[in-house]
Amino acid sequence: MTDMTTNDMGATASPQDAAVPGGSEEKRLGLWLTLPAQLLVIFIALFPILMQVYISLTDWSPLDGIPWYRAYELWIGLLNYADLANDPRFWSAMWRTCIVMAICVPVQFLLGLGLAILFVDDFPGRRVLYSTILVPMMVVPAVAGYMFFMLFQSGGPVNDILSFFAGRPVTIAWLSDPDLALFATIVSDIWQWTPLMFLILLAGMVSVPQDQQMAAVLLGASWWRRFRTIVLPRMKTIIIIAVAIRVIENFKVFDNFYIMTGGGPGVATETISIYIYKVTQQELIWGYVAAIALAILIVLSVVSALAIKKLRSA
Amino acid sequence: MQRSLSFEIFRYAAIFTFLALSLIPTIWMISMAFKPIAEWQASGADLTWWPENPTLDNFRFIFGESGSDLIVALERTAGRPILASLLAATFGTLIAMVAGTSAAYGLSRFGAGGNLPLALIQLRIFPPMAVMIPVMIMWAFLGLIDTWYGLALIYGIVTMPFSFWLMKTFFDDMPREIEDAALVEGCSRWRVFLKITLPMMRPALASSALFVFILNWSDYLIALLLTTRDWVTIPVYMASLSSSMTGQLYGAKAALGLIAAVPPVIMGIAIQKQLVRGLTFGALKE
Repeated sequence: MTDMTTNDMGATASPQDAAVPGGSEEKRLGLWLTLPAQLLVIFIALFPILMQVYISLTDWSPLDGIPWYRAYELWIGLLNYADLANDPRFWSAMWRTCIVMAICVPVQFLLGLGLAILFVDDFPGRRVLYSTILVPMMVVPAVAGYMFFMLFQSGGPVNDILSFFAGRPVTIAWLSDPDLALFATIVSDIWQWTPLMFLILLAGMVSVPQDQQMAAVLLGASWWRRFRTIVLPRMKTIIIIAVAIRVIENFKVFDNFYIMTGGGPGVATETISIYIYKVTQQELIWGYVAAIALAILIVLSVVSALAIKKLRSA
Repeated sequence: MQRSLSFEIFRYAAIFTFLALSLIPTIWMISMAFKPIAEWQASGADLTWWPENPTLDNFRFIFGESGSDLIVALERTAGRPILASLLAATFGTLIAMVAGTSAAYGLSRFGAGGNLPLALIQLRIFPPMAVMIPVMIMWAFLGLIDTWYGLALIYGIVTMPFSFWLMKTFFDDMPREIEDAALVEGCSRWRVFLKITLPMMRPALASSALFVFILNWSDYLIALLLTTRDWVTIPVYMASLSSSMTGQLYGAKAALGLIAAVPPVIMGIAIQKQLVRGLTFGALKE
């Protein structure tokens, strides 16, 4: 921001710039064009984060009857952060989010990759089947949550299908058993986002040039060998991007989990976003929430900055 | 490449198995939306996969039409939440597109913007839940809680990274010769942008806007935190379609779910060529 303003002032101040046709005009136009976006970013990032730092050092709650800017009356220093380090519910939510990620992302990746292999060359019906596969990812995630809530009722269709294969009535109470509830929520995530993996991986696979593969075919290389030595290495960047997108989104996961189980039974499906939401809405200790949120923001910005840097240099 | 017959059989078998599983939730929702109340909760042998007596009662019910055989009338109908979702998503898309497109042009042509691209990626990486406390305080201070324009503002900011990156890749791809020709003719940079570049970009603008609209329309968490009653959006309102008295109003939920699901599915299929570009921040163009 700062060096941009100096650029602009320099441009208006020096007559030499104006002598270059379009030079100063272009600079000023560039500034004006990016200004709204810059202001919005500052409005949503800089100011709230400063506010968050301040509130996180207090014990402020919206029920205290004092406005947030007078939260210093409830100053507790770094106590919230100390509490955070010893908060078993926070760490278990963190751990659960990582488990969800560790299951969802690989399954989505393998299913997506498998489907992409089937779709990479043309066959009758390809277009229609391709569009049909994409449908789940366009369903509103919250609506998907309500749908899966119905599917996993004990008298619902999932048990009906299982009954059909088992040959006897199956009445599993999916959403009230801690392990099964987590399984059910994971299934809903895999259902919704496998198409995204498929879409991105297929686009990457199609763009791998054909000539080398043809040459390998002539040399008698097997399909698996061609795939492993020619196709996969060329898809490296796109695989990293696809996996990164799902890791990021999985870390934020909220909608379908919260709607299906509300984080329960107990805290069995409580991911980090659900945990923060519950502390925000039910326990209303916003000073503490600010501390949690800030800790997550710091970790994420460091990790993402490193990742982006590495990806750019690659 | 020529494939063997057995591969073709395997291909169709695998794709159809996957589709059969993946379409179950969608089929169930469609079927439930047209089921009369007697079939909602049926289980075991009575469970029907397709409505035996299809009816539009569920749709009539959520729009408050009495005379259906449902137990209680709704306190509030689905009309207002649908309007809220439409207004917030549409104006949010407008904000994201105006700010994102102009910034993308500024960066693509004049290298302006400094750290904006990186800041926008980071904005996307942060879980919205992690900045919601200050946002809730700010929105309360500005009187934006429970208004459609308050929701539209935050939607616009949250989806701006997508409009920015999408439009940036489109501008990067656009040949500059036409713009240069107009500049030589004596047009100002502004006029070139408004009268030549933007009209040429109409298809790109349309698909980016649809993409951003789908994202805004899909939100649940932000509306859950920033709306309370008058301007709740469809997903938030759907939770009220159940109570201790009536139990789960499955059919009504499915009907509204179907209404909420149809626009993004149609739009998504319409822009499927641009989906990859949008989802990967322009890293991959199909």
